[in-house]
Amino acid sequence: MSTQQAEPESQEAPEDPAMKGAESPAAEEQKGGGMVDEHAEKAAELEGETVHIKVFRYDPEVEGKQEPRFDDFHVPFEKGMTVLDSVMYARDEYDSSLTFRHSCRQAVCGSDAFFVNGKQRLGCKTQISDLEQPVRIEPLPHQEVVKDLVVDMDHFYDQMHTVEPYFQDEDTPPVDDLEEQRQSQENREKIKMSSRCIWCGACMSSCNIAAGDNEYLGPAAINKAYKFAMDDREGEEIKEHRLRILEQEHGVWRCQTQFSCTEVCPKDIPLTEHIQELKREAVKKNLKFW
Amino acid sequence: MAERYSSFTPGGTGWFLQRVTAAFLVVVLAFHFFLLHFVNHAYEVSFMGTQARMENIGYFLTMVLFLVTAAFHGVNGVYNALVNQGLEGTQKKVVLAVLTIAGVGLVAQGTYVALTMSGMI
Amino acid sequence: MSQSYNRGLIEDFGRWKEFSAGMWAWIFHKFTGWMLIGYLFTHIAVLSTSISAAGESTDVIEAQNDIYSTTLQGLEGLFLIRLLEIGLLAVAVFHILNGLRLLMVDLGIGLESQDKSFYASLVLTGAITVASVPTFLTGVGI
Repeated sequence: MSTQQAEPESQEAPEDPAMKGAESPAAEEQKGGGMVDEHAEKAAELEGETVHIKVFRYDPEVEGKQEPRFDDFHVPFEKGMTVLDSVMYARDEYDSSLTFRHSCRQAVCGSDAFFVNGKQRLGCKTQISDLEQPVRIEPLPHQEVVKDLVVDMDHFYDQMHTVEPYFQDEDTPPVDDLEEQRQSQENREKIKMSSRCIWCGACMSSCNIAAGDNEYLGPAAINKAYKFAMDDREGEEIKEHRLRILEQEHGVWRCQTQFSCTEVCPKDIPLTEHIQELKREAVKKNLKFW
Repeated sequence: MAERYSSFTPGGTGWFLQRVTAAFLVVVLAFHFFLLHFVNHAYEVSFMGTQARMENIGYFLTMVLFLVTAAFHGVNGVYNALVNQGLEGTQKKVVLAVLTIAGVGLVAQGTYVALTMSGMI
Repeated sequence: MSQSYNRGLIEDFGRWKEFSAGMWAWIFHKFTGWMLIGYLFTHIAVLSTSISAAGESTDVIEAQNDIYSTTLQGLEGLFLIRLLEIGLLAVAVFHILNGLRLLMVDLGIGLESQDKSFYASLVLTGAITVASVPTFLTGVGI
């Protein structure tokens, strides 16, 4: 199995409908009736157990794929197979034009968040045996689809950068005085979960409010801000500056505590909890000046 | 720098007041339902009975405060719901104005009604 | 990027079966909220009959023949109004219970069991409503 990364720009290969295990609407039409039998036949052709996946297809540059559709693939099942493994198999064996992002395959790079059976999940972290078949694999909702499972992440990254996701210090001390900035163990524990974010965008895609309000910072960006706002090593002034970004109209107040983000986060970050804590921080800060 | 943070941002005030009024309303709404459906029965309500209750100044003030907080909580809730639906610009201002007028009107009319019930007018 | 495809709000009501507890809680809370504020306006409108009633003579008021008493008792005599009142109770109880749940969430208490507390609100609402039906239907015929 190839391990190279599939980029949106990857080469276009002609589809071969005759390949075993792959089905596309065009191929089905040619063969005519008796669909149920053919399904069974195809499954039998492949030795052993197979997994039926339905993958969202769209390609603005290929005629016939400009209208989104679902393609069916029957992939031989292996113990421990993930959703990512299944689409990689489909790409390598059936249709090399099938496009999706992936890199590390171990839930660290955050490139392969898909909408699997109606829920945002990380492809490489989701066991296919846990899912009901056929497994429906779609690109993340509420983001523009560039091709197949690849969505435009620009807006997500923009929101992430809005919260200035880097450590800041009021005055940088002279080079000679620079020393290691130690963090207390308790403080490290406090921000531990928030630091696990891998920028996969699953939370933002699951958020009802972010879907309706493009300016809403979204769970990932707010969590990122939490990581720094709660870090004791940053000064009071910087913390206030961070809270000011968060308490703008399209900041933390927009969260309606539906817990969608918390439920889909592949790194189990308690996103809603962090957003709520920041709301309380903002209120407390403002009360002080009354 | 303190001045810059001396007031709530619009979102923050609304959020906080919505919670404060909620905490009050939870208690008073439950009390209101209990008093007028279980202790007294709604089908037995008469002007005389209402007057007797409203002449108690504590009850009267509670009911007026109930009205004010409920009107705020409700109107602000509707406004938030509409803003979350993506209301913006002029539309947003118009909706805010309409809702404010409706809310103030409701409180004014309600207070007037309460005063007639208590016999103060 | 030359072209891309906007799938729109694909998490619309067509996918309601995939909604989670938190989403349902949000939808119900909003829905019951709309009903309650709507009711508050009608409630004050009906109670406004007290403005005229206050001007009526003591005899009329004591005999419960004033406009306020007759309007309210007249409405209460309608079976439909009683049914709507039960509906209102259910709506208010849910809004209160889920409101308490949301206040807890805002205070950061018990976030891990937010789904269970939503189901608990639903069950309690149902139980309280059913238990109140006899009280709400006393003295009215269909």
